[in-house]
Amino acid sequence: MPDEISVRVLDIVGGALAVSADDGQAVYDKIAPLLREGKRVLVSFEGVNTIISAFLNAAIGQLYGEFPEEKIRELLLVEHMVPEDLALLKRVVDNSKRYFANRPAFDAAWKEEVGDDEE
Amino acid sequence: MIFRLPTIHSDKNGFENLGELAEAARPLYADRLELNFASCGFFDANMAAPLAAVLARVADKFNTIEVVSVPTQIERILRKNGFLTSYRYPPLDDENHTTVPFIRIQLAAAGRFADYLERHLRGKGIPRMSQGLGKVFKQSLFEVFQNSVTHSGTRLGVFCCGQFFPQLRRLDITIADAGVGIRTKVRQFLGTKISSIEAIRWALSDPNTTKTGEQPGGVGLKFMKDFVALNRGKIQISSRRGFYEFAAGQETFSTMDTDFRGTVVNLEVNTADTQSYVLESDLSPENIF
Repeated sequence: MPDEISVRVLDIVGGALAVSADDGQAVYDKIAPLLREGKRVLVSFEGVNTIISAFLNAAIGQLYGEFPEEKIRELLLVEHMVPEDLALLKRVVDNSKRYFANRPAFDAAWKEEVGDDEE
Repeated sequence: MIFRLPTIHSDKNGFENLGELAEAARPLYADRLELNFASCGFFDANMAAPLAAVLARVADKFNTIEVVSVPTQIERILRKNGFLTSYRYPPLDDENHTTVPFIRIQLAAAGRFADYLERHLRGKGIPRMSQGLGKVFKQSLFEVFQNSVTHSGTRLGVFCCGQFFPQLRRLDITIADAGVGIRTKVRQFLGTKISSIEAIRWALSDPNTTKTGEQPGGVGLKFMKDFVALNRGKIQISSRRGFYEFAAGQETFSTMDTDFRGTVVNLEVNTADTQSYVLESDLSPENIF
């Protein structure tokens, strides 16, 4: 098996739209095991023309919950993303780093609702 | 019961009036609601989406709904966009192609939203937009739709409707759900009894998200707000007793007199916008992670 594996988003989501968290999860499920094996992963967005944050959160942001930043930087690469989508990905990545750095607080914060009246 | 629907514009008053309908109909069970339009002087077509969300809750309790005395002009609009066909009115052709039809999409069939946009955004001012603008607008709509799918917890689906105003060069798309609302999600997350408008304010602030667990969140609404600021468009969010509007660089948060059980986002895009949304960026795939 080669050390660098190409993961083609189009083949996983089945079209040009990467617009759901479920599709993002499917991409994550392909990427994460490869990173666990220490493979370099090239995620190709060729043929994908609409990408939203909810997809990227699931597909890539989620990786920061399992892998250290250095490992992701060393092993993960994306290609065929236009600058606007790269900027969105950067936003998602920065947000994910903050999210997982504070995750114990985030998870502990989930509580029962305090009443249903407005005041 | 008979409810006399007043004029419904796409503004705080309009959402309050729909909230009033929801409150009036809440006690009904296996009963009948007559929605009487005789006092309705105008109905903004995109507001069919939140009206449908209210009526879906009513129908969910085995109530029968009849829509009556619809003034001719309003009837034409609501037959053209297909809203009234659920209430035994015949459809009417949209000869001017200014309608973005009403649709109800179950969460399990979320893929239909992509088909809907593909089919109905074409010819609605999009050719005037730069390619970049069309792309960012579509992304924003998908972000809003996905928020409903992720956060609303609704069994009743998501309701979408829109209207193109060629003279004003504005396109409104409204996405509504009959879910728990932003306030409930933020209260659950923070564990404090935050008001509806404070909950909306919190959800719009970077980097807040009510998402927990493995998938981060909290980028979508801010992405949409940045787009609207650049485009000089408009966002309206109505959820429980909170109403938010962002237009012409001004944000307003106000408390509504009635309770809209669910969340509505209306996104109005300025189709006359010719600026480029293609970024000149120093970002490269090597410096993302």
